[in-house]
Amino acid sequence: MNARNGTPLVELRDMRVAFGGVHAVDGVTVDLYAGEVVGLVGGNGAGKTTLIRTLSGAHSADSGQILIDGEPVTIETPRDAKELGIETIYQTLALADNIDAPANMFLGRELTTRFGNLDTSAMEDATRKIMGRLNPKFEKFVAPVSTLSGGQRQSVAIARAVHFNARVLIMDEPTAALGPAETKQVRDLINQLREEGLGIFLISHDIHDVYDLADRISVMLQGKLVGTVDKDDVTVDEVLAMIIMGKKPGQVTQRDIAELH
Amino acid sequence: MADTEISTTTDRAPEAPPTEGERRSFRDTLRSAEIDARLAGMLIALAIIWIVFQIVTPGHTFLTPRNLWNLSVQTSVVAIMATGMVLIIVERHIDLSVGAVMAVVGMVMGAFQHDFLPDVLRFDHPLTWVMTLALGLVLGAVIGAFQGVIIAYVGVPSFIVTLGGFLVWRGLAWRVASGQTIAPMDSHFRLLGGGSDGSIGGTWSWVVGIVACVGIVALQLTKRRQRARYGFRLRPMWAEIALGVAGCGAVLAAIWFLNRYYVPAGIVAQRGLPPGTNVSQGLAIPVLLALGVAVVMTFIGTRRRFGRYVYAIGGNPEAAELAGIKTKSTVVKTFTLMGVLVALAAAVQIARLNAAVGSLGTGIELNVIAAAVIGGTSFTGGIGTIAGAVLGALVMQSLVSGMVLMGIEAPLQDVVVGIVLVLAVALDTIVRRRAAR
Amino acid sequence: MRKRRVWALLGLFVLVLAACGGDEDGGGEATGTTGGGGGEGITVGVSWNNYNEERWAKWDEPAIVGALDAAGVKYISSDAGSSAEQQLADVENLISQGANALIILAQDGEAIRPAVASALEQGIPVIAYDRLIEDPGALYITFDNVEVGRLQAQAVYDQVPKGNYVFIKGNSADANADFVHSGQLEVLQDAIDSGDIKNVGESYTDNWDPAVAQTNMEQFLTENNNDVQAVVASNDGMAGGVVAALEAQGLAGEVAVSGQDGDLAALNRVALGTQTVSVWKDARLLGQAAGEAAVLLAQGTPLEEIPDTVSFDSPGGNQMTSIFLTPEAITQANLNVVVDAGWISTDELCQGVEAGTVEVCG
Repeated sequence: MNARNGTPLVELRDMRVAFGGVHAVDGVTVDLYAGEVVGLVGGNGAGKTTLIRTLSGAHSADSGQILIDGEPVTIETPRDAKELGIETIYQTLALADNIDAPANMFLGRELTTRFGNLDTSAMEDATRKIMGRLNPKFEKFVAPVSTLSGGQRQSVAIARAVHFNARVLIMDEPTAALGPAETKQVRDLINQLREEGLGIFLISHDIHDVYDLADRISVMLQGKLVGTVDKDDVTVDEVLAMIIMGKKPGQVTQRDIAELH
Repeated sequence: MADTEISTTTDRAPEAPPTEGERRSFRDTLRSAEIDARLAGMLIALAIIWIVFQIVTPGHTFLTPRNLWNLSVQTSVVAIMATGMVLIIVERHIDLSVGAVMAVVGMVMGAFQHDFLPDVLRFDHPLTWVMTLALGLVLGAVIGAFQGVIIAYVGVPSFIVTLGGFLVWRGLAWRVASGQTIAPMDSHFRLLGGGSDGSIGGTWSWVVGIVACVGIVALQLTKRRQRARYGFRLRPMWAEIALGVAGCGAVLAAIWFLNRYYVPAGIVAQRGLPPGTNVSQGLAIPVLLALGVAVVMTFIGTRRRFGRYVYAIGGNPEAAELAGIKTKSTVVKTFTLMGVLVALAAAVQIARLNAAVGSLGTGIELNVIAAAVIGGTSFTGGIGTIAGAVLGALVMQSLVSGMVLMGIEAPLQDVVVGIVLVLAVALDTIVRRRAAR
Repeated sequence: MRKRRVWALLGLFVLVLAACGGDEDGGGEATGTTGGGGGEGITVGVSWNNYNEERWAKWDEPAIVGALDAAGVKYISSDAGSSAEQQLADVENLISQGANALIILAQDGEAIRPAVASALEQGIPVIAYDRLIEDPGALYITFDNVEVGRLQAQAVYDQVPKGNYVFIKGNSADANADFVHSGQLEVLQDAIDSGDIKNVGESYTDNWDPAVAQTNMEQFLTENNNDVQAVVASNDGMAGGVVAALEAQGLAGEVAVSGQDGDLAALNRVALGTQTVSVWKDARLLGQAAGEAAVLLAQGTPLEEIPDTVSFDSPGGNQMTSIFLTPEAITQANLNVVVDAGWISTDELCQGVEAGTVEVCG
């Protein structure tokens, strides 16, 4: 796989987020290089989504540092993140159901004419172009996205993230709502984007998904980082042991593996 | 929450092709012509209401130029405010304070031009109306922004804030003149309210009609040219031409019909014209204001970033926030805009009544909300059009005016309007549910 | 950050309160005096429903106090601020402060009944001031609303004995609207029956709203193609709406229009000739009558021996002992009455009036 040398594209250092007295994210450090996919796994409530929301600007961290290309940055709003080239595909997709696909694609970053009016034709054109690449069967460009299927909605959300020349892509459960054919499409896309040199954080609770796609895997349990491992160094069972028992590969015994099954 | 949202949409077959032999319904025809089915439905409903009233009113006075002219003026106050209420409701908010704000702004404008300005300038100074209107619009904007800030930044629900406003502004309206009626209004200011002097006459009405006509065609042409430039599918030519002819024809027919309402005999005599002279009254200024507001608000709602954000917030507030939209300031702007529209409506109302009274706009918030809702605005957020709200206001006023002509008493009028309100929303809900299937 | 917000809100609240305070001091505590007249040691309590309405402070209260002063009776008062619940407590407070008689301007004639019953049981007489309280033990003092209607109709009828009439009635939920209208019909019924007067339009008006009255009038004019000679409007605000509708047709001044309340704008219209009559209820007469009756009642005079009382069958089925004051019809001929009474200044009355057309305006 890709060599990881030099400065990481993204580094999250010692991140902490608390809700009330609960430490949702408790001193987690992860990093991501250009051209690699880092899987972020863990059970429900492990804190993966919260951690990643601090990077996408949806939630601010209580403490910790975010570095892009080795430089410390402040991300307080989604807008900050986007300006740094960080795009996010949320688990909820975060689409406004009542407006059409181009409007969602460009939401917050509309193309305008020189008088500042919305240039709907230009936006539709750009949407058609990117959709032609991602989902050639997509045709509903002027209907509210509430009339689209789950897969079509997903492709709108992905198109939105990809279109603006992202350097870092955060994908939160990108295949959770998809059928087999659409899932394969998304997988192909992830591989393609990695080839293009993007850094991708992939969040999933489907360990097989992550194991197939990721270069490295970071495991979280109860707000803490259990560890980060190279995919090639571990087996699926060892990752499962990390997720469930919080044990690093070296500490796992045969009995533990047996218990997992 | 979001999971269920997705799962309900996934089990729907993507892009189900229409089954063969499916009959080509009226809706399909509309769709291929890209006409808004809801608006078309409302126009048909309005036509039915008008025809029924024409038949049942004694003397068949409903579809006369004079009555429709009256109707246009009587609708304008509610229509102006309904255009703003659409955006508020689309954004999942509500404004219950519009009647009370109307009262306080109306009283301030009344006192300003009646008690204050004559001392500073002179009685009936030609600048009086401009300064009064400017003061009113600024005051309306400030009140709207103030309520908007409490809603957006402090986080008090709009229902509560504007319910409080409903009481506060009404009370302060009373304070302005200790409950006294302020009258009369400045003679130039009164033109805002219509009447024979506050109308533009037959010739200028034709000019307005022709300009509107040219505007419709120009809009169609630019849109078509743009779509052609990107190679998008174009609306069928027959539909394009039919739409243009229908739009243009409707505008010119309306002007022609309204122009047959002549300046009343009493006014003719006052102007020193020979008795029996037929001078077209033409469109009233408040009607022009309402139409202008509707056009501008439609433009803001569909062609500007602000409008796009309002709809996005209404459709999914979280998504709007995550897209980097400044949702709070958008909400403040929406309420500020509402305040300005309320102030304009207040100016028209006191000009028309030739008096500012503390009871100005009592209960009108319900008419404004009802107009928006009859016009297809949904309380679940994200859905509603300006044109629909204006038509909704026209439907409501048509019902009331027609029933007055029939001699139906006020309490029974309320019964009918209430039933129509629920019926309209019920129909809308059923149609929408069927369309979603 | 959050704290600053709280302070900003508080500051604003104070500002609003200050704006509400302003030039009037609320209906606070005793302003009474003692003097000669045989009323020493007697206290009369007045419970205002909402002292903020200009009328009470400006006209009614001085008249009541004047009558009490003349008898050497002490005056205490309270203000319920438009709250029916508050008024219940107010009445009890006035009694514990030693009131020997009560004058109550009820916020809600129904809700106040327990307090009235309790006062009467303690032997403290009660006067229902201006608004009806359904309790036969109370003395009801008001202007005669039916008479208001009669005066309106009479003034219009004097000017237009034959022709098409429109009736703009008050709010359908307000009993006064029907009292006034019944008075109008008493005067006009014969002429209607004989066909001299034709009723060509009649409508209640939601909230007595002038804008609604205007819209309704426009519809009546449309329906009758302007063939209307008289409009019997039940109050001055609605008369304003009617006149605006008439003006738009160039008919203002040609059609007779009635009203009531003696609104300054309406009296100006009477001077201008666009309104025929405004029936005026001089609040000072009401206050004086109530003050005098309160003194008598506190001294132990039985209800039925109070001068000028009549028996009145209330809408609630009670036989009320009542004093009905006669309102006065103000037309162009007697505008001097309101000027002499200090109700309106000549400037306000005569704004826009051509010299030589109206006597008081010169």
